[in-house]
Amino acid sequence: MPHRPVLAAVRDLHRHFNGRPALQGVDVDLRAGDVHALLGPNGAGKTTLLRVLTGLAAPTSGTVTILGEDGSGRRSRTMAGRVGLVPSGTRTFYLRISGLENLIFFARLHGLRRREATKRARETLRDVGLGEAADRRVDTYSQGMQRRLAMARALLTRPDVLLVDEATHDLDPEGAEAVRQLTLRAAGDGAAVLWTTQRVEEIRGFAHSVTFLDRGVVRFAGSVTQLIDRAPIGRYVLALRDGVGNPVPARAVSEAVRHLAHVLPAPGADHVLIELRGGAPLGRVIAALAVDGHDVVACRPERSEIEEAFLALTSEGRAS
Amino acid sequence: MTAVFREGLKLGAFLRRDFKIMTSYRVGLSFGVVSLAIQALLFSLIGRVVDPARLPMYGGTRATYVEFVAVGLVLTLLAGLMLDRVANGIRQEQFVGTLEALLTTPTAVATIQVGTAAFELLAVPIRAGVLLLIIALAFGLRLEAEGVLPAVVLLLAFAPFVWGLGLLSAALVLTFRRGAGVVGLLTTVMGISAGAYFPLSVLPGWLATIAQANPLALTLEGLRAALIGGQSWGAIDTTLAVLVPLSAAALAAGVVAFRLALDRERRLGTLGLY
Repeated sequence: MPHRPVLAAVRDLHRHFNGRPALQGVDVDLRAGDVHALLGPNGAGKTTLLRVLTGLAAPTSGTVTILGEDGSGRRSRTMAGRVGLVPSGTRTFYLRISGLENLIFFARLHGLRRREATKRARETLRDVGLGEAADRRVDTYSQGMQRRLAMARALLTRPDVLLVDEATHDLDPEGAEAVRQLTLRAAGDGAAVLWTTQRVEEIRGFAHSVTFLDRGVVRFAGSVTQLIDRAPIGRYVLALRDGVGNPVPARAVSEAVRHLAHVLPAPGADHVLIELRGGAPLGRVIAALAVDGHDVVACRPERSEIEEAFLALTSEGRAS
Repeated sequence: MTAVFREGLKLGAFLRRDFKIMTSYRVGLSFGVVSLAIQALLFSLIGRVVDPARLPMYGGTRATYVEFVAVGLVLTLLAGLMLDRVANGIRQEQFVGTLEALLTTPTAVATIQVGTAAFELLAVPIRAGVLLLIIALAFGLRLEAEGVLPAVVLLLAFAPFVWGLGLLSAALVLTFRRGAGVVGLLTTVMGISAGAYFPLSVLPGWLATIAQANPLALTLEGLRAALIGGQSWGAIDTTLAVLVPLSAAALAAGVVAFRLALDRERRLGTLGLY
């Protein structure tokens, strides 16, 4: 949504490590109220970009603007206070003290007086669902709880820019959903969120825009829908039954659809994997199977559109 | 509210954090007291084989070995802890994984650096006091009350020197990810060459000569003159005249080296890595 103000912007950003490029000419805009997903394979440069945005690493060249201020060099304290970071690791807390004490400590480093820090820490812990565990030592927290604690720390000062690094990669679905909901809430409150992930499916219905990074280069930037459009589905897994309810062998399927699709090795005896021949419609494949007396009882893409796009963009990058 | 005052308030947060962490290791605390008691016992036994005639005189009074070594022990303990904490405080945060979280808060690096060492530094006088109490109760330590104030002034003048050395070590540790052992070695060498445990007269001549320019040796002699000899300001003004510039130079060198090391890490993007 272009009318929303850009709270953080990166322009022509380059970052080298010992001469090896980690980021090459990256442009990213983070808008108020948006969750901007940063996708990419391992080593794509996602964490490096986050580190540059938090001021933990300096860019080799290019500009970083945060809330209208230059964020490329040493930061003003005001700017540092308005950027929240949820780091990817879980070992970012003092494990022998409670979640509450950890948050009070960090709140005070943000300049809050002790009473205010305690109040804010308690409120934030309640907001992330850790109210009852507030006084427990962090070494008794599960990974999901530690991640929510990291989210609470980042939200302590109600930041304008929230940077979330691989926050769900080691969480169970329930824990991951809780973290995504907290992120959406922060975006709903007006924060510009940058969400890095390799769990490609989670950006559907969650992220407003996407940047795909591969080996430090932006391969795609746009909306999730535009990303999906980049990768038309070509492979489907079918479950087929013959007239008496038995699975249909791959050879029979191959004969029925030979002009429309290839039949590939399938994940199980009850399933057939097909790859459509140059733009053949899926409906015609199903119809051809029906004509031969095979009922299609289930059909799903082998991979999701986003996963397909991810792989396509990665292989485009390798080819270039 | 000035920026300096705001940063100063944050030190309270570090103190509270480290107090909470320390009290979560109750056994560790009692081990510390036992360790101090063992040190005191060890040196009192050594004192039985030391010829009292070889011990120096302070203000016309010949020191007993227990008095002599008690001052040496307290100062080397203080210097060692300060050096270790200043040198390794940031490194510790790297290991725990909290350094990057600290650096993303609007807190000056100097505040983080002082904050990580603050609790230990406050604990040093307590430990020193416990050590002196144990020695006093067990072995009849007798120190002159009028020397306490000059002794405190000497310690205050000496502290920036150790802090500066700590910052230099911290810069090394930050840059090379190794070097904690250097701190221990430095403390031991400084302690021995400064006559902390034995009079300078029993050391080889060349070591005794070096000790003339060793700030730890200068401070020790000043402290002994004050606490054992009961000598007042006149006995320490020469020491202060040498110590203060040395401390200022060490602190300035340490601050510059640490700042350079930190900027390098930021430039390389390796600050949070260990």
